[in-house]
Amino acid sequence: MYKNFTICLVFTFLLAFSYSGCSRQLADNQIQFGVQAAQKELWDEAIFRWKKVIESDPNSAAAHNNLAVAYEKKGLWDEAKREYEIASKISPKNKYIKSNYENFIKNYESFKKEKKDGKS
Amino acid sequence: MGKAKFVLLLSFLVLLSCSSSYYWKMRIEIPGEPILKLDDFKEIVITDFLITKETKNFDLNKEIVDYFTSELRNEFEGKISSKKIPLEKEDVFKDEEFWKAQGEDLKEALLVSGSAQYTEEVRKAILERRKDRVDDPFQSKRGLAERRFYTFLLDLYLIDPKTGKTLYKRNFKESQGYKNPKQTAHFAFFDLIQRVKAKFFQNILAGAKIQERYLISK
Repeated sequence: MYKNFTICLVFTFLLAFSYSGCSRQLADNQIQFGVQAAQKELWDEAIFRWKKVIESDPNSAAAHNNLAVAYEKKGLWDEAKREYEIASKISPKNKYIKSNYENFIKNYESFKKEKKDGKS
Repeated sequence: MGKAKFVLLLSFLVLLSCSSSYYWKMRIEIPGEPILKLDDFKEIVITDFLITKETKNFDLNKEIVDYFTSELRNEFEGKISSKKIPLEKEDVFKDEEFWKAQGEDLKEALLVSGSAQYTEEVRKAILERRKDRVDDPFQSKRGLAERRFYTFLLDLYLIDPKTGKTLYKRNFKESQGYKNPKQTAHFAFFDLIQRVKAKFFQNILAGAKIQERYLISK
């Protein structure tokens, strides 16, 4: 009986702690602010937010990934490639980063090929 | 015991939700980058094309010039004109002095030229005719099948007459087979040059593509 009670207490504490930490973190998160800006097509604002995140946490795979998407949107291919590579290095198993990067590379390679074909 | 299990399950779910990635799937318009900016020119001059192999009952040069004149007019705000320039050899496209001489009267213009070939051939093969229905009482039989093939080869050059330099060059090879033995060269040519147009315009106009990307928060 006491054992069950202790388990309950520990997990309730864990639950309350993690939930509050999680929500506080999310509320403060510049990344989300950037996402909201991007959803409203305010890509410069989004870039500003995600760059700020990278300044304080250079290992944020999300910020690098999102920044890469923003650069793609603006047609800055080399910058986007660099950011995707960093994001993939930090979080190689993240399926969203992987999907974005694969789609980006297809565009990037066909663009480079077309440029080469057109000028050859 | 039941309550303990419930709390355990609940806490597990909350922890899982906190540790997993949040993502937003977005459809974004990704711009293309044109190889050549047409806006830099005030006029596009389409010259005659060097026809390396004549096609029976088909004026290939006229068809190409007419097609590009009409299609470029839809995309280019400046003047579109055509100019008769006698082209004799393929090497002429590398001759910068030749193009400079041709473009003396052209200011801020872009020359569209090239060489082309359009061929038609009939290929025959013995093929097994498939049954129209599964319960068709007749045996499937082998028969002579005929396809009419058209191939369009185009080496397209965009030349700056001020310097005589080639700004863009691309070789196109488009081929299409038709079951219809009476398929005309004119209709087939339209199919093939449309494919060339799609690739060529993608290079010089580079329209935006809509694609899906994920924005993530963790």
